[in-house]
Amino acid sequence: MGGKRSKAESEETPLAVADDENPNNKKRKILPSLIKNKEKRSAVHAKLKHDKKIEKKKKAKLRDAAHKRALELGEEPPPKKIPRTIENAREFDETVCKPDDEELFAGNDADEFSSVLKRESTPKILITTCRFNSTRGPAFIEELLSVIPNAHYYKRGTYDLKKIVEYANKKEFTSMIVVHTNRREPDALLIINLPDGPTAHFKLSKLVLRRDIKNHGNPTSHMPELVLNNFTTRLGHRVGRMIQSLFPQDPNFRGRRVVTFHNQRDFIFFRHHRYIFEGKESKKPDPKNKLAKSVKNSKGEKVSQENVIARLQECGPRFTLNGFISRTWTLAAGDFSYDLFGCGVEVHLVKGATLITYIHHLWLLPSESLIELLRHGAWASYTSVLGYPTWSFVRDETE
Amino acid sequence: MPRTTALECPGCPPLRALTFDALGLVKVVEARGTQGIPTVVDRWGAPDSSQCVLAASIADHKTNPILAVSRKNGQVELLNPLNGDVHVTIKTSETGAVGHIPEDDLVVGLHMFKAERTERMELSSKSMAFLTCTMKGNASLRSIKVKDTLAGFTCSEPSSWNVCTAGKILCSSVDKDESHALFGGKGAEINVWDLHECSKLWTAKSPRRNSLDIFVPTWFTTATFLGRDHRKIVAGTNYHQVRLYDISAQRRPVMSFDFRESPIKAVTEDVDGYAIYLGTGAGDLATFDMRTGKLLGCFRGKCSGSIRSIARHPDHPVIASCGLDSYLRFWDIKTRQLLSAVFLKQHLTSVVFDANFKEEESAGNTGEQLNQLKESDHLEVEDNNDPLPVKRKKSSKNGKRIKRVKSKKSKDRVQDNTDDSSS
Repeated sequence: MGGKRSKAESEETPLAVADDENPNNKKRKILPSLIKNKEKRSAVHAKLKHDKKIEKKKKAKLRDAAHKRALELGEEPPPKKIPRTIENAREFDETVCKPDDEELFAGNDADEFSSVLKRESTPKILITTCRFNSTRGPAFIEELLSVIPNAHYYKRGTYDLKKIVEYANKKEFTSMIVVHTNRREPDALLIINLPDGPTAHFKLSKLVLRRDIKNHGNPTSHMPELVLNNFTTRLGHRVGRMIQSLFPQDPNFRGRRVVTFHNQRDFIFFRHHRYIFEGKESKKPDPKNKLAKSVKNSKGEKVSQENVIARLQECGPRFTLNGFISRTWTLAAGDFSYDLFGCGVEVHLVKGATLITYIHHLWLLPSESLIELLRHGAWASYTSVLGYPTWSFVRDETE
Repeated sequence: MPRTTALECPGCPPLRALTFDALGLVKVVEARGTQGIPTVVDRWGAPDSSQCVLAASIADHKTNPILAVSRKNGQVELLNPLNGDVHVTIKTSETGAVGHIPEDDLVVGLHMFKAERTERMELSSKSMAFLTCTMKGNASLRSIKVKDTLAGFTCSEPSSWNVCTAGKILCSSVDKDESHALFGGKGAEINVWDLHECSKLWTAKSPRRNSLDIFVPTWFTTATFLGRDHRKIVAGTNYHQVRLYDISAQRRPVMSFDFRESPIKAVTEDVDGYAIYLGTGAGDLATFDMRTGKLLGCFRGKCSGSIRSIARHPDHPVIASCGLDSYLRFWDIKTRQLLSAVFLKQHLTSVVFDANFKEEESAGNTGEQLNQLKESDHLEVEDNNDPLPVKRKKSSKNGKRIKRVKSKKSKDRVQDNTDDSSS
C-alpha cells in the first residue's frame, strides 16, 4: 500500500513541477505523516494547514468580489453553492405527507387517536413502571407527571401488563406510559394507546432531570402548548399523532408553557420550557441584530416598541427517544400482533415542511418559532414571527 | 445514517393489480411496456373506515370478470374489475343493523368461483357463486343469477352451514377445481369441506406435545391448498410455524417448521404446485419448497410493515406483496429481486392480479370492454370453464423471458406460452 502510494507520488511530482514551478506545490506532495522527526512533522503540518487557510480565504475573497461586481453591473450574482450534506443528499421519500392529501385526512379521522384529537374525549394517562424501579425512575416519573396533565401514577406491583391494560380500559384511560428502567436508569418508554393500540416502544437516552439543569424553571399546572416538529412521513405522522394524543388539546396560553417533541433523523428530542416575552429597549446601534435593524428601516419610529424578546427557561426533564416499533395491542387476542414495524422506516427530516403545524392550530405558531430560538440558543428576537394571528394575543399578556 | 443513493428498480412486465385498503379504497395499479414502472391508474370508492376491505377475490374471466369484496360494514360487493362499477351489494349479516356489525360477524373468508356452478344453473340465466365465511364460522354459499340486463342480478337464498363450534375463523381457501374449501383460525383446527354436498371431509389434529410437554394452542392465521387437488394444505400459524397437511396421509401435519419470529400472515402457492411464498408480521417475505421444507430464498428489500397479502401472477414470474407499510411491491420470483414498489398511502389489506390485462389495452378500451360485457350477458358462456385463460403476450418480451426459464428447465406451462407466441 505504502509502496504504491510513494510510486504514485513519484509519478505525480514531475508532472506538478512541469505544470507550474511553484515550490509550494512540490512540498505539498510530501505527506507530513511520512516524516519521522516529530518537530519537522509538526512544522510541515502547520505549514500545510496555514496554506490551506490562506487559499480558502483567497477563494472567499474572489467569490465576494465576483458577487459585488455582479451587483454593481446589475447582473445576476453567481449562484450560491449548496453544500452537500446528509440532509440534502437524502433519497427522496414519497411517503412524506402532503397537506392537500384527502386520503390522509380521511385516514386521520379513522385512526385511533381521532377522538382525543377532535376533543371528543379528554386524555387521561396512566403512568407505570417496570417491575423494579428505583432512584432515577421515580424521579423521572414525578417530572413526567408534571409535564403531562391528567396523568396518574400507579404502582406496577407484580401485575402483568395485559392485566394493567384491562384495568386501564375499565377506568377509561386513553393512554398508558410504561417507564422501563435498567440498572436504575430509565432506558425505555412504552406508550400504549388504549383501548386497542397501537403501542410504540422508544429507546430513551440522554435523560437529564430537572434538578440537573442549570437555572431551571418550575412548571405551572397550566395546560401546556405542544410543538411537534418534522413528523412528516406517514409513519412519523402516526407517531406524532400518538404523542399528540397524550396531551389535552386546549393549551392555556397564560401558563406560557411549551412541550416540544422535535424529530430529527428518527431521534425525537423532548424539551419542556417556559417562555416570556419581554419588551426590550434596544440599543440604537445594534450591529448584530439585523432583524431589528430592518424593522427600524421600514417603520422608523416604532423601533423601541417592536423589539420584543422571547426568553426561554428550561423546565426539564430533557431526553431523547428513538427507534420506535409500533404494533397493535389486541386485547381480545391477548397478545401483540405487529402492525407497523418502524425499524427500517426513517422519519425523514424535511426542512421547513412541518405538517403537524398544519393540523395543530394557529395557536401553535408562536411556540413553533420558539424551536427556532432553541436552535439559535436561548435568546433571540421575536420580531421574526411578527404578523401571526396569535401575536396580539400573546402580547396582551406580557404588557 | 440515512441512505443517500436511490435504489434502482428494474420495472415490471405489463401487469394489472388491484389493491384494497383499510379505508375501503380499491386502487388499480398498472405497468405497461416491457420494463414498465407501475403506477396508480384508478381509484374507486370514497375513503371511509367503515368500508374497510377484509377480503377480496377475483374471478378473472376473459369476458365477464367479476370482483368480490367484503367490507367491514358487513356487505359483500360485486364489482366489475375493469371499471369499478358496483353490480350488486349483498348484506351478509342476519342481524340487519346497518353500521355497527359485531366483531365476530365480519366476513373474513371470501371466494368468487371462477367456474360456473352447473348444478345451480337455471335456464335463460347464468349464475355466479361465491363463498363467504364469517369469523364466527358461518360459511355460506350464495349464487347470483344474471338476467339479461346488467342490473338484473338476483341473489338466491344462501346455503349456509357452520364450520366451527368454538374459536374464530381467520383464514379460508378454496382449491383449484373449486369443489373443496378449508377453514381455520384461532382455536379452530383446519377443516376441509366438500362444497357440493356441504359436508365436512377432514379435520386436522393439533400436533403432539413436545419433549417439554408444552402444548401449542391452535391459531392459524393463513392457509392455502397446494397443487391441483385438495389433498395438500399449507397453513401458517401465529406462532410462526408453517405446517404441511396431507389429507390422504394423516390428521397431524406431515411436516412443520418454524420461520423467523413473527406470525405468518400470508401464504400463497406457486403455480408449479410445490413452492410457496410466505409473508410474516415483521415484513419478511420468503419462498419455501414444500417437498423438502427447505428455504429457497428470502425476498430482500425494505419491507417495513406486516405483510397482509401475497398474490402470484398467473403468467409472469412475478409476485406482489402488500401490507401495513402501505407499499405494493412486485418481486421477481426467479432472482428474488424487487422489481418495483408503489406507495399507496393506506394500510393495504389485500392484492389481486387481473390476469387478462393486455399491454395493448389502453384506458380508452374500458368502454369497449363494457360493451363486450353487455354482449356477453346474452351469450352462452363456454370459455369460462377453463380455469386460467392463457394470455397472449408480446413475442419479443416473451422470447427473452423464456430463454431464462428454459435454462432452468421448469414448467411446461411456460412452454405452452412459447407455442402460443410462435404460432
